[in-house]
Amino acid sequence: MIDAGTAGHRRMLVDSVADYCRRSDPLRRCRMLRGTEPGFDRGAWLEMAGLGWTALVVPESCGGLGLTVTEHALVAGGAAAFLMPEPLTSVMIAARTLAGCIASDAPTDLAHELLAQVASGTTLPALAWQEDAGRVDPAAITATARPSATVAGTVVVDGHKRFVVGGAGADGYVLSVHEAGVPALYWVPAGHPGLKVVLHPLADGRSAVDLHCERMELTAGHRLLAGDAALDALQAGIDDGNLSLAAELLGLSRRLLDLTLDYLRTRSQFGRPIGAFQALQHRAVDLYVHQRIGDATLEQALRTVADARPGGRSAAASRAKARACETAARITRESIQMHGAIGFTDDCDVGLYVKRALVLSAWLGNARLHRARYAERVPLDAEAA
Amino acid sequence: MDDMDLDRLDSPAPDWDALQDDRFRLEVRDWLRANCPPHVRFPAGRMHWHECRDWWERLYRKGWIAPAWPRELGGMGLSPYKQVIMAEELERHGCGRMPDQGITQVGPILVRYGTPEQKAWYLPRTLSGEAIWCQGYSEPNAGSDLASLQTTATEDGDDYVIEGSKIWTTLAMDATHMYLLARTGRGTRKQEGISFLLLDMRAPGLVVRPIRNIAGDAEFCQVFFDRVRTPRSNLVGAAGQGWAIAKSLLGFERLGIGSPRRPQLAFARLQQLAAARGLFDDPVFMERFTALRLDILDLSATYESFVEQVRRGEPLGPDVSLLKVWATEVMQRCSELMIEGGDEHAAFAGTVDVDGSPVNVLAPFYSSRPGTIYGGSNEIQRNILAKAVLGLPQ
Repeated sequence: MIDAGTAGHRRMLVDSVADYCRRSDPLRRCRMLRGTEPGFDRGAWLEMAGLGWTALVVPESCGGLGLTVTEHALVAGGAAAFLMPEPLTSVMIAARTLAGCIASDAPTDLAHELLAQVASGTTLPALAWQEDAGRVDPAAITATARPSATVAGTVVVDGHKRFVVGGAGADGYVLSVHEAGVPALYWVPAGHPGLKVVLHPLADGRSAVDLHCERMELTAGHRLLAGDAALDALQAGIDDGNLSLAAELLGLSRRLLDLTLDYLRTRSQFGRPIGAFQALQHRAVDLYVHQRIGDATLEQALRTVADARPGGRSAAASRAKARACETAARITRESIQMHGAIGFTDDCDVGLYVKRALVLSAWLGNARLHRARYAERVPLDAEAA
Repeated sequence: MDDMDLDRLDSPAPDWDALQDDRFRLEVRDWLRANCPPHVRFPAGRMHWHECRDWWERLYRKGWIAPAWPRELGGMGLSPYKQVIMAEELERHGCGRMPDQGITQVGPILVRYGTPEQKAWYLPRTLSGEAIWCQGYSEPNAGSDLASLQTTATEDGDDYVIEGSKIWTTLAMDATHMYLLARTGRGTRKQEGISFLLLDMRAPGLVVRPIRNIAGDAEFCQVFFDRVRTPRSNLVGAAGQGWAIAKSLLGFERLGIGSPRRPQLAFARLQQLAAARGLFDDPVFMERFTALRLDILDLSATYESFVEQVRRGEPLGPDVSLLKVWATEVMQRCSELMIEGGDEHAAFAGTVDVDGSPVNVLAPFYSSRPGTIYGGSNEIQRNILAKAVLGLPQ
């Protein structure tokens, strides 16, 4: 149960997103910036920071608002409805991991400072943790940090991180490595010597990056956290990331469903609007049913994570992501079909929605992965009421 | 047990609605645990009257047979949300559905539209189980298109004379009374001229013929009327108002039909089969099994959002139809995976030995069929959603 103050706060956020999207036309930005580097508008980012969106999950001690992924999901979902290209979720994931560093036994000034800069919109971090496709396990780390043989207090990092969505144009990376037998997180500023950043175009016109670290030297001052707490911080980032992606997927599918329903009401063939044909009506209803099931699932997941243990949080995030991927897949595919040939053109916005959904679904684990992950984490009898 | 409750008719009925929600839920749960006879729990199909009469009477003595009716008429007087709690606890305990249409349909309709005489005569008898009701709506040529019904009721002195036939009348063989829609006139629209009548099934000229269903059971019937008379005092509301009366019960009652409980039970059977067949090690099976598991879990989340709406005292909109669509269809998907997972066992009738465990592989397949057909077929539900929720052109 949420109190009236929280509810009012959330309504204001939703209104603020809707208002911003009306003013700034993120969809036009999404279309215009396709294939460019970094693929988003830094000025727009600062504007959003001015609205407080970049500070939502940043702890109050770092100048943030100290809110939760639920508030972030409202913003990300609202922005995704208009295909905003700015990396709201990617930065949130890094911020959540940095917040985990602050909450640990050994908080660093660096993490504190980075979070303050995230809140003000001056630094865009990205989380570089993943190495293998089809695996959402922050403990699966082969990148290493070894003490330098030549310079005291310096480590040498070798490894390869992949699929860093939001990594293009980032000011630095929160990098996971193995160090002296335990996991650790380091901050690597963009352009650091020994860091090679390779851009890969995403289906939606933005880019993700791979990081290649070859004999990259970092100092102890770059270290954010070491030990199992580092995995907890990563896990929190990834889980909240999936909740945010679920919100984005459902936000964009809701908007696309509205656009498609409008098209069914107005496009006329055989002397009547095509939405009058029962064959299309029933298919449209099925999309609506999927949207409602998806919305209710995400809402429940967000309520659950508010007081869930870390394991329960992962299960709730997996369930929400799996459902959101399926909902978005159905609505985006059917929207192409219902628009007919125009839906297959680059001029039509449907394609932009389709491709954004493809990217968000694949990132941090697709539906198949998350269904299996849910089943692994929640024993069958745990659901029996 | 509850012999003390025998006294309740002499003392004022307890105000169950005054209890706190959680307290009420636990009271119901505890009482069901102590009082519900095992033979009415998790029945394979619809229960006949002789199979559940003792359970009906026990609920009646407790004062719990009619949760939605006003207290002064012998009901529990529960708010909509408490009714949902009650239904959820009955479902949770596996209490099978009784021939309850008198309680769920006739009672509320008489409370709203009945004459004082109709209420005084029928309501107490409906509560006690003396009057068991069946629903005479569908006809051989009026199924989804119910308003095209052709059974007629013609005034003749103090009576209506009924001619025609009703079909798919669930448990008509057990019923003492029928509430029916019959044509007393014709209007420009087919919904006009339909009246809502009550009828004693012992009336001469009435024949009930059970219909064996696909599972081999006789749950529904065809009912024939050959000049069957019912007194004009059995007309409910005004002549020609029948369509509006029949449609008036489309409130939060519709939540029940979209409850996740029946799919959960089907899924539990699937789980039982999977354990017996060692299918939890089969990754292909597990992918589909988990997808169904989440389809049902996510239905629960959606159902709960509607329950929350009821709890806040808000009316339910036409969008609640989506629960029925999803719930009934996911149940069918469970039954299909059960057939696939059953391999050769799925070819056999009744309960079979599946690698050492008794399983009726086909039971969910049969029992999940009617759900998408009755109560407004899922195609009708989709029509409703398309028109009333999505506003698509007609």
